Amino acid sequence: MELMLICTLLPLLSGAALLFVNIPARKTRMACALAAVTLTSLACLYTVFSGASGEAAFALMRVGPGLELRWRLDGCGRVYLAVAALLWPFSVLYAVDYMRHEKREGRFFAWYILTYAAAAALAFSDNLFTLYVNYEFLTLLTVPLVWHEKDEESTRAVKIYMLFLLGGAALGFVAMMGLSALGLGAFDAGAAAEKSAFDVLRVLALLGFAGFGVKAAVLPLCRWLPVASVAPTPVTALLHAVAVVNAGVFAVARLLYCVIPSAAVRGSWAQTAMLALAAATVVYGSAMAVREQHMKRRLAWSTVSNLSYMLFGLCLLTRDGATAGLAHMVFHSMTKIILFFCAGSVLTQTGRTQIRQMHGLGRSLPLTFGAFTLAGLSLVGVPPLAGFVSKYALVTAALSLGGTEAWLGAVALILSAVLTAVYVFTVVFPAFFMKPVLPEGEPVREGGACMRLSLLLLCLVLLLGSVFAGRIMAYLTALGEVLLP
Amino acid sequence: MMVIALLLLPLAGAAAAPLCGRKSEKARDLLVRLFTLFSCGLAAYLACTVWRGGAAVLDVPDFCGLGLHFRADFFRAMYVLLASFMWACASQLSPEYFAHHRANGGRYACFTMITLCGVTGVFLSDDLYTAFVFFEIMSIASYPWVAHEETPGAMRAAATYLGVSVACGMVTLMGIFLCWKETGSLLFADLKTHMGEERAALPAALMLVGYCAKAGMFPLHIWLPKAHPVAPAPASALLSGMLTKTGLFGVLAIGMNLMGESRTFGHVLLALGLITMTLGAVLAVFSVNLKRTLACSSLSQIGYITVGLACAVLLGHHGGLAASGAVGHMVNHSLLKLCLFLCAGAVYMNAHTLDLSRLRGFGRGKPLLHAVFLLGALGLAGVPLLNGYTSKTMIHEGLVELAEEVEGFSVYRLCEWIFLFAAGLTTAYMLKLYICLFWQRNPEEERQKEYDGMNRRYLTKRSAVTLVVTALPLLAIGLLPNQALLPLTVRCTPFLHREGVEHLAFFSGTNLLGGGVSLLIGTAVYLFVVRSWLYRKEYVNRWPAWLDLEELFYRPVFCRFLPWLGTAAASLLDALPGCKLVAVWIPSAVTAVFRALDHLMDSKLVTRYLAGVCTFLARCCDRLLECRLVTRVIPAVLTALTRVFDELVDHTMLLFREIFLTNRQELNRSKNHSIFTRLASALSEGGHRLGRLLRPGRWLPRKEETDMRYGSAVTNAVSFGLLLCAVGIVLAIVFVFIRIGA
Repeated sequence: MELMLICTLLPLLSGAALLFVNIPARKTRMACALAAVTLTSLACLYTVFSGASGEAAFALMRVGPGLELRWRLDGCGRVYLAVAALLWPFSVLYAVDYMRHEKREGRFFAWYILTYAAAAALAFSDNLFTLYVNYEFLTLLTVPLVWHEKDEESTRAVKIYMLFLLGGAALGFVAMMGLSALGLGAFDAGAAAEKSAFDVLRVLALLGFAGFGVKAAVLPLCRWLPVASVAPTPVTALLHAVAVVNAGVFAVARLLYCVIPSAAVRGSWAQTAMLALAAATVVYGSAMAVREQHMKRRLAWSTVSNLSYMLFGLCLLTRDGATAGLAHMVFHSMTKIILFFCAGSVLTQTGRTQIRQMHGLGRSLPLTFGAFTLAGLSLVGVPPLAGFVSKYALVTAALSLGGTEAWLGAVALILSAVLTAVYVFTVVFPAFFMKPVLPEGEPVREGGACMRLSLLLLCLVLLLGSVFAGRIMAYLTALGEVLLP
Repeated sequence: MMVIALLLLPLAGAAAAPLCGRKSEKARDLLVRLFTLFSCGLAAYLACTVWRGGAAVLDVPDFCGLGLHFRADFFRAMYVLLASFMWACASQLSPEYFAHHRANGGRYACFTMITLCGVTGVFLSDDLYTAFVFFEIMSIASYPWVAHEETPGAMRAAATYLGVSVACGMVTLMGIFLCWKETGSLLFADLKTHMGEERAALPAALMLVGYCAKAGMFPLHIWLPKAHPVAPAPASALLSGMLTKTGLFGVLAIGMNLMGESRTFGHVLLALGLITMTLGAVLAVFSVNLKRTLACSSLSQIGYITVGLACAVLLGHHGGLAASGAVGHMVNHSLLKLCLFLCAGAVYMNAHTLDLSRLRGFGRGKPLLHAVFLLGALGLAGVPLLNGYTSKTMIHEGLVELAEEVEGFSVYRLCEWIFLFAAGLTTAYMLKLYICLFWQRNPEEERQKEYDGMNRRYLTKRSAVTLVVTALPLLAIGLLPNQALLPLTVRCTPFLHREGVEHLAFFSGTNLLGGGVSLLIGTAVYLFVVRSWLYRKEYVNRWPAWLDLEELFYRPVFCRFLPWLGTAAASLLDALPGCKLVAVWIPSAVTAVFRALDHLMDSKLVTRYLAGVCTFLARCCDRLLECRLVTRVIPAVLTALTRVFDELVDHTMLLFREIFLTNRQELNRSKNHSIFTRLASALSEGGHRLGRLLRPGRWLPRKEETDMRYGSAVTNAVSFGLLLCAVGIVLAIVFVFIRIGA
């Protein structure tokens, strides 16, 4: 309990302190931010890996009958928290150099750290109500970050962002209230319900999928993610490729595996609808990414596609599916953050955003494009990198379920893999093998030391993740068995 | 242990070479040579161990999800040895080859080593998964070879290469998934036992697509004639000699394990093999580029190997000879292409051109190059006493056996004739290259003088020794086929599931006759086609430019039609949420219906008559029940419900407009007496005020205008949320009703 409180209060208090206390020296300010985040991450990782301490549940406050803020850390939450906690310090390290090019950096760091509190609290949620509250907090706390530039474009982006996310949360709210009314608010993997309530449960499951799925950018409501990529790169990299979007996937996982009895949804029209939406988004996102010429937006579309890979796995409602979906969450996060950081490095070092302008840059920025290549190969699913492992697990999970929709889904995943190869390789190979298109005024150099360090460390994380993919998969398989007893 | 060392050694080289190259390029070249020689030694040791009956099996559980499985039987060990031998020879020559063009040497060295790792992994793999993992590594790592020159032509060829690799690789992956679904195991040994032939057809076909593409089989051969000429010559030797063989390895492993008894499979393979063989040979006869001719010849030779495999499949258990022939030709072709491409490299690095007309007379007075090239050319053409003849004879024997199985004339007899004809074409194009390089004089005297001036200093000692070393095995195998080639193929039989042949009379009359017929056809084609039609003072390319499968079919379909289809679909999806149908027409139609209902309710007809009837009924009930409640409550509830629906729809309509037209004025102007609208605007006003009260400006200093914008964004979002909440509440009410009802 103390650990969980520390994990939440530490970023909350330090973020608030950074917001209100003006530290004049940049170095001190950066050091404070970095220290706060590193300490929090250490605490989080200790909580995740120490085992017993998180298991005890405790209630913070009681709002009404069945509506209380309960905290506990279980397997699913551990996975989400571990990924976020692992990547957050690297992002702050990267931001130390990146934000030199932006205004109002003190405020940026304050909100960036405050968001951490919401993400940690989300992982600790022990019932649907708590999950919902923390989910909303996570949305609201990221608004100032998306709106950092405060120009016409980012204002439009923030408007769309809030419309989609708050609206989606409202749908989630309906599902939450309905399920609470049915007495299913608590997280209990073995929950059962009467057969007569199955139809209602299916409707609620679909509502919840659509509502929480907005954060995971599932098809009808996926446009906000590319629009929100106007935010500074550390935000797009960590929040819109890892923490916030993973929260959507995480919430859907909670809903489907911990709240709604899987017998109610499995094999029904609701499952077919969810699978179809996810599979359609997988292909749609990749296709849009191929069409997009703006680097960060292309990556954002790729995120849209990959998030639906995870949702597709989760919606299979089998152990293998859950394992594969969560595995893709872990491996995709490690991969996508590198890709965004590389795009950010190019942006700060050359000011180029369009992919055409990046031809031939591989020689002047070897580290950046080397990292991009490594992560890109993982994203495409080139073995033996991590991305391949989870994609492989996803397709085999789909095929072992059988049925037409799973088949079509598997074909959609393969099709999307080809499209992924197209949109990654059309960046990577021209960067190394083609002559630069624009005349270079001055020699281009790699970003600052912090940027390079964080890129290198993240590549190391990705490689380690690839090497120990078997271990991670074994842990997640055990988790899948807990989720579907 | 040896397996791990064989896999990690090239990777270590790949890491070390570019680092070393920063300090000195010579050190890097030395390092690469040492690494490849060392792996060659290691592979030889492994082959010896396996030859003596030892086995090397390695499982790496958990790596990359499913774990990797390696096994070294004799076939695999032999091919690993051959691969590392070729790498060693190629890396001996490459320093001199790149002497004039030093750019990107580190990149070349690094990816060469990674590709070696991939190739070794493919050959040592014991399950489909491991094979796929290393196959992909190899495909991607060999891209820099093709793109090395970075000219537009090279980039285009490289793009084709990558496109074919990736797309066909994905098809293979799908096949692996299906196979996994059917059997639950991906080990080669398990495939045969777990799966019936009918269920195996689709997975096997899908898996073969990727491997056939890498082998360069028709109709997926398009990358091969483009990629080989643009790659540096040492890399072309490896691409042609070894990478195509990894594809054939997949065909062997999957075909023999899964479809070994299927006649359909055998026939498809036979047809593809014959087409590839003839097409490659014809293209080679037409080609006027030295390396392109050799590349097309690779295509043709791959066709021979495929025909051999097809015979082995069709002959069933008697197919040992044909299978041995196929494996033997794989080995022979690897060796031949190593020799020939390295010769081509020696030509290119001196003459800086590959155009046959300009290369005429290059080899005059260069006895070493002359001898080595002659051996290679004769070997490829299938002249007795050289290695090509031995394996071609075995495949030919297989075809003859197949033809004799059927009484009288059969299609197989025709196949045999095609085989002999294609062998004749091989003679023709090799004769063309040989005569062009070594006998004709260049009509430009200057150039001929330049070429003659290079004599004695066109090769360093090391390169000359390398060339001789590559030519020796050709002679050895050719002179002693029963001692050098057959024992090798016999040891491969466990992998092929066919009994090998211990002894064959290679130099018997019938076999020599077959070879002789081909040589005659070849000489005739050379004299009457190549020298008369295709040679007008210089070599002319008579192949019609438009006749190109890639330009005719693949590029239009994949670069025009499919994107067009995708764009159309995407635009449709794109337009859907914003299109007027959804945003305007459907809400208006729904509103209209509800308005109509409302008016109906308001109209006197309904109010009077319906209400009258209701009242009357209610009065009756009232009288009956003696209860006044009914008179009031039922009409009131009815009216209230219709109102609620009406207002809900009004509100939906307004908010739809608000969302899609994003116009606050609109919302205010069309303010009517709806209670929900009033509530929403009051709340949004409240939110606005609240926003101003909290004044983000306190902590976010900015202009008043943006402040307003922020407020409006908040209120919009809040009111949209409110709408959805309202929907939720209604649903909750409905749900409660249902529950009570149940």
